[in-house]
Amino acid sequence: MAVLANSATHAHTSEQDHEAHLREEHLMLDPRPRGEMNAMVMESMQTTSWKFWVAAGIMAILVAVCLFYYWGYMIANGLGVAGVNRPIYWGIFLVNTVFWIGISHAGTFVSALLRVFKAEFRRPFTRAAELMTTFGLVQAGLSIFMHMGRVWLSYWLAPYPNQRGLWPNFHSPLAWDFLAINTYLLSSTMYLFLPLIPDLAMARDRSTGWRKTLYRILALGFRGTEGEWTHLRFAMNLFAFAILPVMFSVHTIVSWDFAAAMRPGWSSTIFGPYFVIGALQSGLSAVAMVLIVVRATMKNMKYFIRPEHLDGLGKLMLIISMSWAYFFFNDYMVQWYNGDKWTDALLHFHEEGPLGWMWYAMLIFNVAVPWLTLWNKNWRRNPTLLFTVGLLVNIAMWFERYIIVPTSLSINRFPFTYQFYKPGVEIPLTIGTISFFILLYMLASRLIPLVPVWEVQEGQMAHSLRKFGKETVVTVSDLE
Amino acid sequence: MAKHNIPEVKADLENTTGIWGMAIDQDLCTGCQACVAACAMENNIAFVGETDAGYGRSLHWLRIEHAFEGEFPEVQTSGFQPVLCQQCGNAPCEPVCPVFASVHSQAQDLNLQVYNRCVGTRYCANNCPYVARVFNMRDYDRPEPLSNQLNPDVTVRRRGIMEKCTFCIQRIHKVEDQAKSEGREVLDGEMQPACAQACPADAIIFGRLDDPESRVSKLAKTGRGSQLFEDLGTLPRVTYLKEEKDYGRLG
Amino acid sequence: MTEQLSRRDFLKLVGTGAASAAVLTGCGPASRYVTREPYTKMPEYTYNGQSTYYATTCRECAAGCGLVVRTMQGRAIKVEGNKYHPVNLGKTCARGQATLHSLYNPDRIQEPSSHVRGDRDFSTTDWDTATGIVAEALKNPAETAFLLGLAPDHLFDLVSDLCKAIGAPAPLRYGALSLFEARTTLGEASRIVFGKPDLLFFDLGNADVTFSFGANFLETWISPVAYTRGFAQMRRGTNRRGYLVQFEARMSQTAMKADEWAAILPGTEELVAAALGKLVAEQKFGSAPALFEAVDVAQAADAAGLPLETLERYATILAQAQNPLVIPGGAALGQSNGLEIAQVILSLNALLGNLGKPGGVYHSPASPLTNSYRRPASIKEISALIEKLNSGKIKTLIVHGVNPVFELPTSLGFEAALAKVPTVISLASFPDETAILADYVFPDHTGLESWGYQQVSAGTGQTLLSGAQPVVAPYYNTKSTTDVLLAAAAVAGGKAAAALPFKDEIEFIQGKLAGLVGAEGGFFNAADMPSFWAEFQQFGGWWKNDPSLGTPSAASALEKKLTPAAAQPEGDGEFHLLVFPSPILAEAGANKPWLQETPDPTTTVMWNSWLEMNPVTAEELGLTDDDVVRVSSAFGEVEVSVYKVPAIRPEVVAIPFGQGHTAYGRYAENRGANPGKLLGAQINAAGDLAFAGVKVKIEKTGKKRPLSRLEGRTRLEAAENKG
Repeated sequence: MAVLANSATHAHTSEQDHEAHLREEHLMLDPRPRGEMNAMVMESMQTTSWKFWVAAGIMAILVAVCLFYYWGYMIANGLGVAGVNRPIYWGIFLVNTVFWIGISHAGTFVSALLRVFKAEFRRPFTRAAELMTTFGLVQAGLSIFMHMGRVWLSYWLAPYPNQRGLWPNFHSPLAWDFLAINTYLLSSTMYLFLPLIPDLAMARDRSTGWRKTLYRILALGFRGTEGEWTHLRFAMNLFAFAILPVMFSVHTIVSWDFAAAMRPGWSSTIFGPYFVIGALQSGLSAVAMVLIVVRATMKNMKYFIRPEHLDGLGKLMLIISMSWAYFFFNDYMVQWYNGDKWTDALLHFHEEGPLGWMWYAMLIFNVAVPWLTLWNKNWRRNPTLLFTVGLLVNIAMWFERYIIVPTSLSINRFPFTYQFYKPGVEIPLTIGTISFFILLYMLASRLIPLVPVWEVQEGQMAHSLRKFGKETVVTVSDLE
Repeated sequence: MAKHNIPEVKADLENTTGIWGMAIDQDLCTGCQACVAACAMENNIAFVGETDAGYGRSLHWLRIEHAFEGEFPEVQTSGFQPVLCQQCGNAPCEPVCPVFASVHSQAQDLNLQVYNRCVGTRYCANNCPYVARVFNMRDYDRPEPLSNQLNPDVTVRRRGIMEKCTFCIQRIHKVEDQAKSEGREVLDGEMQPACAQACPADAIIFGRLDDPESRVSKLAKTGRGSQLFEDLGTLPRVTYLKEEKDYGRLG
Repeated sequence: MTEQLSRRDFLKLVGTGAASAAVLTGCGPASRYVTREPYTKMPEYTYNGQSTYYATTCRECAAGCGLVVRTMQGRAIKVEGNKYHPVNLGKTCARGQATLHSLYNPDRIQEPSSHVRGDRDFSTTDWDTATGIVAEALKNPAETAFLLGLAPDHLFDLVSDLCKAIGAPAPLRYGALSLFEARTTLGEASRIVFGKPDLLFFDLGNADVTFSFGANFLETWISPVAYTRGFAQMRRGTNRRGYLVQFEARMSQTAMKADEWAAILPGTEELVAAALGKLVAEQKFGSAPALFEAVDVAQAADAAGLPLETLERYATILAQAQNPLVIPGGAALGQSNGLEIAQVILSLNALLGNLGKPGGVYHSPASPLTNSYRRPASIKEISALIEKLNSGKIKTLIVHGVNPVFELPTSLGFEAALAKVPTVISLASFPDETAILADYVFPDHTGLESWGYQQVSAGTGQTLLSGAQPVVAPYYNTKSTTDVLLAAAAVAGGKAAAALPFKDEIEFIQGKLAGLVGAEGGFFNAADMPSFWAEFQQFGGWWKNDPSLGTPSAASALEKKLTPAAAQPEGDGEFHLLVFPSPILAEAGANKPWLQETPDPTTTVMWNSWLEMNPVTAEELGLTDDDVVRVSSAFGEVEVSVYKVPAIRPEVVAIPFGQGHTAYGRYAENRGANPGKLLGAQINAAGDLAFAGVKVKIEKTGKKRPLSRLEGRTRLEAAENKG
């Protein structure tokens, strides 16, 4: 038994009030009977209003039109229907790829990193974050395939034995990228699935009909025996540790697509950590946004997701925003200081070019907005405000990638060839990926427990309020 | 798998002269675009139409750059500069292609673009400091009977494929085969890419860089010669002979 | 057809001559005897996978460059220069390269046809009917007029012979390039100064200092490939690098290659040239000859907008040069005083003592066939023709090789005159504006499908007859105009039949060549016609090995008195309009898609027309790049996008000629503006149009039409922001 957390000892008029306050504040200290909690989760999954179906229907239509129709149209007609040109060979598709990989980062970060460090406030929303990882990666993968000129030959990127005796070029950052994203997608799906098993088993035991069949298959016959739990814990622990380097490597490798190229503005040694932090910046904000939406729209979720969680995420967002600002400044400083005339032209183009407003918006939304709001506890705990900040940060991070990809590609060593980039079919396809992400999330919220019930219950079991003299103290027992 | 002898260390490359090379005399280049048209005709380059051409999607393998400097009446021109694939000895486009569509030819020491292999990631083009690569954004229309003119020695490219100057490798092969069948070395001046062949001012000189006696080797070594962005270490095989403005230079 | 040589016999005959040349094949596929076969059934002389090369002559302009066309399986694949040909020595220009897009143009007229004027639907007829219609015209010689292009010469010779025999008015030949080069003026000045009308040969290659008055010899002027070779030779310099100064108001492609650009005001060429003459004479000989005496140097410099010191410096450069050369270009001669300008410039050469000397001015070599310079018609003569058309005296107009509706300034009223002619026969290969307004279109083969020859009148010092042969079998049901006329003459009978007793085009050409068989000093010698003919085709023509340039003599040119003056511009606009032939499209390139996509050398604009304007002027007018303006002269107006360029005088605007077609195929139609609509009718003393002396007004339209240009805009805008 170890004392891990110690609640602040405020001067309360009554100890009773204080205790009630602690219970209200912290999910871990506000246990409910297992059966009730299970029922709450099942209910949240199965209670579906017509509004949900309307929203899902709109998303489905958007996916069908913006994603599948326009993608097919682009495949049939070539990339000419998109906005890429010479010299801006990479456009919004790669912006989206980097953006979605960034979104997918926070899921793992929140879940695995917090799990490894045993941050207790993570418990109710690890699943929601992991889902984001998987669904975000799906969008990233789609975006990178959209980007390709001959997508029907994309399997050539995979190393497989063939009669041509040709492997992918392992010198190419894109080949690493392909492998890294695939590794990440596989491992994050596994990592999503493993903690899901006990909840699926729970759902299997509490449902009927097709749901029961589905959960029976997915739960892999999990019965909750001591042996099963031991294996599961071991596997989850293993994955939690293993997936972290994968997560860091993925975005670092994505950054190498740029950093390994000999272009002004791209050839930067700090791009690896800069991209990782950027990914966390957008990803954490996205987690906050998703939690706020889930809390507002799904039944019983106000019990599981409380202001304390928003508060914790808000703090993390503030720290990450500061880190991002540090890396941005570092990158900018080094680029500016080296005095290369093309880099200089590029920096001027960023700030004074036709998209200069985007550069400033990026800084304001990414730095000024979080710093000015998230220092305040009450503001952090305000869902509307946190949602707005998250949205602005995500927009800013999308802008950041836009500045790095198409805007920077405008400038090269031949001023004769400078061009602008006007997106074409990228716009519907971007809407398509966002809709697809939302749709997948909505469907998942109907099919799998968004809250890892067993994890919450485990946490609640470990947490208790004890009195040391007059002091009410939160104690957490180490279950392992 | 075949044994690769890809030089891993840049120092290995820097000692090589290259095999085929070009010298462009900017003092003679009149910017007449004969090379541009000849290149298009030889290499089955598609035309893209007004809108796409204006949006930076024209498929010129060779572009002639120039700029006006100053204001009237003190206007200067920067001189015409034809820019094409520099066939770098240490080419930035090659390592970044994930599928080996952009590869180095050991026999000719040229950068090849394998159209069949290209999946269209366009990374090579981003990494080309010379902006020499062009991408087939669409299947560009070539109404009948224009296709009668297509050169059977050159692949016709479809949408989604990167392309670039090849130093007319189909002609290099022909000349090399001819020389081999006759049991001799390729003669200087025997091989002419379409651009050099057309150039009315004879400003483009093509030949073997590994032959110190060839015209191109000698020109490349004159004091006027320089290469584009030598500092990047790409080892370009095209030498530009700078424009002379001084009156009365003794020849 | 029994008496014809069969292909096999023909090959046997020429075999001995052609065997030595592995690359150049001496015989065309003899279009008349061979029909197009499917891929599976190749003509006997083609081998799968093997290319065959045919020498012929380029027909994209009248310079007559020699081509060698690579063909494969009966298809023309690539145009290359004929390395033996004295004009181009193996080189080509962009237009020559794109001549394949003439041959395989998707908009070709495929069959003889008739149609309602102005209608775009053609109804097919057959060649017998076509022959009958032409024969009818030949029966009324006095009421028939021919208007021909600058190429090919063999057709011009045939029509000239025919007209002479039957008493029809002599054929006129015209092309927009002859207008923009003011060839008549140059020829007339040569006659006045040197006593012999001639296009002259300017030995650019051996000159060490060249002053060019608006001669865009690197673009389209007279023989651009030959003069570009000369330019390169001048730059390489035997003793020292040649120095080029270009005098013109707009920095053309040629001026961009010049060491100095003297942006003189249009119309002041005579003053500047005379002032240079006076200064040079004073430096070299102490006093100026009578011709240059009257000019006030300071006033001339002032009128031209040049600082006096600059003019004096130029004079010093010219005076100290070993091999100076002064070239009169089209833009200088296309002024109201163009003839005087040409005379002053030619006299300046005489003063510099370069006549008949290396790096100087020569008479072009004698033509191998007829010893006369066959110049194109001046605008005065064209106007006379138009008057005749208007008066109704002409019942049939036959047009070949030129598109007068487009290529003539609109103000001359050719289109209206055309309406008064009962029968208009166009022999065009493409549905151009004239063909659309004709009653009948009897399409000739395109250049690469044709026999013929071109007498080269400029660009080389060697006597040269450039030969053309078909490199592929005719792709469509077209027929050589020569053959049509021969057949029609036979049908018409009488004098026409007697004048043209030839079985076919080849016999006619061979008749013309007869005098060259056994001639001494040729590139090849052949004792009989079949061998000569084979080698003529194999090498792409016949020429003498040694130059045979004539030395001009300017006996008394310098003694005449002259009071130089500035030209009088036409119109009351505030801007001088400079119309120049597009270096890439020239007069007839607009229907070739790759030429459309080839960027203009100075502006990099593709697929459209533009108005060049100084940024200072643009700012005054509140205009920027891509703003559409209405340019109007006293004669018409066009709408065109602005292109700001610092390399033009602020009081001058310039539009390229070559776009603005209303017909002429999908790649040319409704694209850009035709500045021919703005040109006036003022004619200089030689009868050429003062096309460079028009003033225009410019109005904003508020519309914007972005020009497609290869050069990105970002840099330009960034530069502006900085400025």
